[in-house]
Order: sequence, then structure tokens, then C-alpha cells
Amino acid sequence: MSSRRRIRLRLALRNLSRQKRRSALSGSAMLLAMALLVFSRAIADGGHEEWIDAGVRMGDGHVSVQAPEYRTRRSLEYRLSPDVRAAVQDALRAPAISNRVVASAPRLTVQGLASSSQAALPVAVMGVDPELERSFSRLDEKLEEGRWLKPDDRLQAYVGARLASRLKLKEGSRFVLTAQDASGEITGQMVRVAGTFRSGIPEMDEGLLQIPLATAQEWLGVPGSVTSEAILLRDSRDTRPALRDLRSALAGWSDDAAVLGWRESMPELNAALRMDDWADYVFHLVLFVIAATAIVNTILMSVMYRTREFGVLRALGLERGEVGRVVFIEGMILTAISGVVGMALGAAVVWGFFRNGLDFSALWDMELEAAGVVIDPVIIPAFHWNQILLSLISILAIGSLSSVYPAWRATRIDVAEAMKFEE
Amino acid sequence: MSAGANGSDVSTGRVRALGTPAVRTQGLWKVYEHDGIRVEAVRDVSLTIEQGEFVVLAGPSGSGKTTLLNVVGGLTRPSDGKVWIDGTDITALSERELARLRLEKLGFVFQAYNLLPVLTALENAEFTLLLRDVPPEERRERVEKLFERIGMTGLEDRRPGKLSGGQQQRVAVARAVVAEPSLVLADEPTANLDTATSTSLIDLMAELNREFGTTFVFATHDTRLMERARRVIRLVDGAIVDDTRRA
Repeated sequence: MSSRRRIRLRLALRNLSRQKRRSALSGSAMLLAMALLVFSRAIADGGHEEWIDAGVRMGDGHVSVQAPEYRTRRSLEYRLSPDVRAAVQDALRAPAISNRVVASAPRLTVQGLASSSQAALPVAVMGVDPELERSFSRLDEKLEEGRWLKPDDRLQAYVGARLASRLKLKEGSRFVLTAQDASGEITGQMVRVAGTFRSGIPEMDEGLLQIPLATAQEWLGVPGSVTSEAILLRDSRDTRPALRDLRSALAGWSDDAAVLGWRESMPELNAALRMDDWADYVFHLVLFVIAATAIVNTILMSVMYRTREFGVLRALGLERGEVGRVVFIEGMILTAISGVVGMALGAAVVWGFFRNGLDFSALWDMELEAAGVVIDPVIIPAFHWNQILLSLISILAIGSLSSVYPAWRATRIDVAEAMKFEE
Repeated sequence: MSAGANGSDVSTGRVRALGTPAVRTQGLWKVYEHDGIRVEAVRDVSLTIEQGEFVVLAGPSGSGKTTLLNVVGGLTRPSDGKVWIDGTDITALSERELARLRLEKLGFVFQAYNLLPVLTALENAEFTLLLRDVPPEERRERVEKLFERIGMTGLEDRRPGKLSGGQQQRVAVARAVVAEPSLVLADEPTANLDTATSTSLIDLMAELNREFGTTFVFATHDTRLMERARRVIRLVDGAIVDDTRRA
């Protein structure tokens, strides 16, 4: 580093330490903004992750494989044959994909009618593998009465509580399911209530029931077939690479199988998350404006206060630009230190006080549901380092932009006039 | 050696150094206009100051001493006329070239000391050497010698706020001369000092002038300084009215 650079850096550092209170005040505004940014980002990311997790577990997973037309037609005609399913299972076993996958669940879903001695109501009938489904949707945890399906069950059904109530069904009650089979014929199946569940999502509680997959396949005449293979990933951020790898692995089956990400299969959830993100961005913008104002104010005040000093520097041989650089460096140092400390503080607060979750249940005492997802009132913060790094870069960018104007003002000082300036 | 008012040169006194003058001005004007009011701070000043002179610009407040010093030092541009420092026409220089010239050829001493408050006495004194990329050992050696000379040894690490007015002005003089400039411009250097301190400071600058041949130009009211000067140029209303030399 040249002598002149060292001088500029030394002057900037010493000036910051000279005006301790002013630097601390401005630094603390910046620090607080950064800490709030980290905190809000961790809560938002944690909330979104939970939101996505709840959504994909109840829905079609982070990634689902379906027949290409199934998404729009929802007909049994468009299903995955045993051969396609075998290809999907092979693809899931590939190391690049398998280390991202937590669980997969085959599902055979048809629209039908549930009839009891009291009423008949339209329902979505989902054939599931009880063991695989249990670790996937965790619907067994929403049990209200009776029990979850067992692997050796044949004619048992796990029924939404409100549906059961409207059909006047209790544990052990028998009722008939009617749906169109693979050949287009209307076919019926008698089942018995094993248990009821309350998920908190009205559409599910009023209109969904699950039966063993083998029973559904036999009843509907599609042995070995399913309408979707739902895949749960370790992290929602793995969706894009998992989609890429799975699509590549199933490229030879493109006429029979489409690989969808959760953003495509759950557009409402995607839209809700994007809206929430935009609300966060507005909040961040407010924080940035506060931080920028603090920096501009401090540095500009400092420039005004030190007019004579800048005049002296110029008189002694510093160039205009060099005086400006001293001011700019001050802004950058202030921003960098308070940004990094603020980041650490934000992370420490989140980790120290809220790593087990931030409980919002005092704010709402009933179940909150949005975009087909029950929102857990306890949000576990998540540190997405790329987001935090982005926040830090943003703060540094704001700091450097905020330092430009005061630095420019410092370069405009008239040397002779500056000498008359009273400190 | 010559000086003149209203464009005319008046030659008196002896020449200390021959060759290129330290300062030459030709038809120098500095005019300020504020809210339609025109103030002629410097009026048609032509003068020549040779190398090694010890000159005082004297005159009442508002006579244009400081303005003339600022124009000569390249701190402000003249409205008209030319200024040569060591033969270089500084009115033709860019801001950057002017900054370089101030660094290499000029030293400044101000009434209010104007030390950089965030630097120690030693760092203030070596500031221009730092800007000139002088190696650290040489910097320290030169500043230490100078500090010994001006009685500042032991106070090197003090910040200006912890020094008396006289000590601060000594550091300011050290800063002005440490890089051995050809010309030192001092604006009321003794105005804020008591008699004893002023006298010792004047002695110091006179010694530096004698030993190193450094040209000193002062703007001052101080009669003690005028008595020590070998040349006194009197200004009234921005114009030179008298230029007296002493043996």
C-alpha cells in the first residue's frame, strides 16, 4: 500500500474514532438495520420453509411425477404404469437424486362419491401406502378418532372429520365409495372407517379420504398403477437441481411421465409465498432507507464540521479526489463494521433466543390456513446464508452509495474559504 | 529584487540569491462579488520575491494580505494576472498540478495552527513527507532532528489538543519546513501567541531562513515580526503602497 493510501486510511479510521458518539450513533442505526434484516430474513425463510414443507407434505411433494395430462384432466386414464413407476424408482436411487430425497409416496387419486345410510357426498379418494404415506404427509398425526391405516388393512378408510360428520360416520361405520374405473365403468367399493383426521384445511377435512393403495388399485382395475409419485426433498432449495436431475433421468419417458416442481403443482402456495416475499422486500427497503439516511447524515455532518481540516489537507498537497476518498472510506468502514456486527448480532439473537421457534400463537388462537396450508404458529428461523450474504452486500452497497454524496461535497470545498471556517 | 504597485517595479535592498525568483506576480487582481457588491481584495499587484528572502506583507485588516498570500500559494485562483512560483506559472496549472506544486515547493503556516486533530505531533510534522513517499527512517530522522531544534522532543506522540498554542504553532512550522520547500507562506503565525512564544517562533523561522535559505513570506500585524523582516511590503485596499528593505 502506498504512503498516500495509508494516510487516507489512517485519517478515515482516526476520524471515525475521534467522533465516537456520532460514529456509534450512525453505526448503531446501520447495525440495527442489519440485525433486523437478518432477523426478519431468518423468520421469513424459516416460516416459508415450514409453509412449503406443510404444503408439499399435504400436496404432491416438492417434486411429483405424473402422467403429462393428469394435472389438467385429473382422470384415471392418465396414470403412471408399473413400467414408468419402476423407471421413477430407478431414477430416485441414483446418488445425485437419492441424497436429496427424504421420502416418496405413491398415490392413486380419483374423484368419487361417498355414500352412507344418511348422505352421499363428493370426495377425493386417495389410495396410499400406509407406511410410506405416514412419513410423508404425517396425516396420522392429525388423527381425531380411531386409528391410522395399517399395512395389512384392506377395506379400511381414513376419513376427513367433517366429511365423516356430514355422512354421520363413526369409527367402524361402513360406507360405499363410487367412482369411474379404468375402463370408464362406474364401480363401487364398501369400506369401513378406521379413523378420522382433522388437518385444519377445510378442503381436506370435508372432502378427502384415504384407503390402502392395493385396495384402490384392485377396485379401480389398475393393478400396479398410480396417478402420482410424490417426492419429498431434504430442503425446498433442492427442488431445482432435483427437478433437473429427475427430468434428465426420465427423459426417455417424456410421453408417459411429467416431472413437476411444487411451484407448478401448487401455484396458490407459490403465489402466496411470492406475495409474502414482496412484503419483506418493502420492509427491507424501509430498513435500507433508514440505514442510508443515518450514513448520509453522519458523514455529511462530519464533512461540514471538518471543512477547515479538508482545506488544510488540500493546502498541504492532497488532491480533490483524495479528500473525497477519505470521506468515502469513512462511510465504507462504518458500513462494513456495523454491517458485519449487525449480522452477527441478528444471528446471535435469532440463535440465542429463537432457535427452537418463535411462538406466534398468542397472536392467533385458531388454526390459520392459507393457500391450502395450515400455518404453524411456531416459526423456526432458518439461516439461508446466501440470503444473509445478499443482505450484507445490499447494506454495503447502500453504505457506499450513501457515502458518495458527502464525499463529493468534500471534494467541492474551496480551500481559501475553508481556512476561514470556524470549527 | 523588485516589487511594485500598480504594475510598476520598485527595486530596493540587497539580493540574497540570484536566478529564478521564488515568487513573481504580474498585474494580479482578486475580485469577489457577493449580491452585486464588488470587492477588490487584491488590485493590480506586481512583485518579485527572490529566493531566500524574509518578507512581511503588512497592512490593516482587510488590506488583502491573506488574499494575496492565498493567491500566491495557489489556494485560490486570481481573477486576473499571473503568478510564478520558482518560474512556474501556477495560473496555468490544473487542480492536480497545483496540488503537486503545493506539496513539492510550498509550506504553509496558518494563524490557527491548523494541525490535523486526529494525528499526533510527529505525524502532523511528517505529513508532507508521507505524501511525498519519503521512506519511514528518513522521515523519522528529519522530524526528530527538527523537533529537537524546536524544543518539541518528548511531545511527539501528543495530539494537537494536548499541546499549547505555541507548541502547536511549532509543529505547524516543522510541518511547513520539514520537506525543505523553497517557499513558506505564513498567515499571521504569531497572532494567537504570547510575546515570549512569538519571539522564540520568529527566532526559529529566521534561523531556518538563514541556514537553509528558505524563503519566508508572512502576512502579519505583528510589529516584532516586521522588525525582524528584511523587507516589508505594505498593502492598503488590496494594492501595494510601500516596499521597504532593510540591510
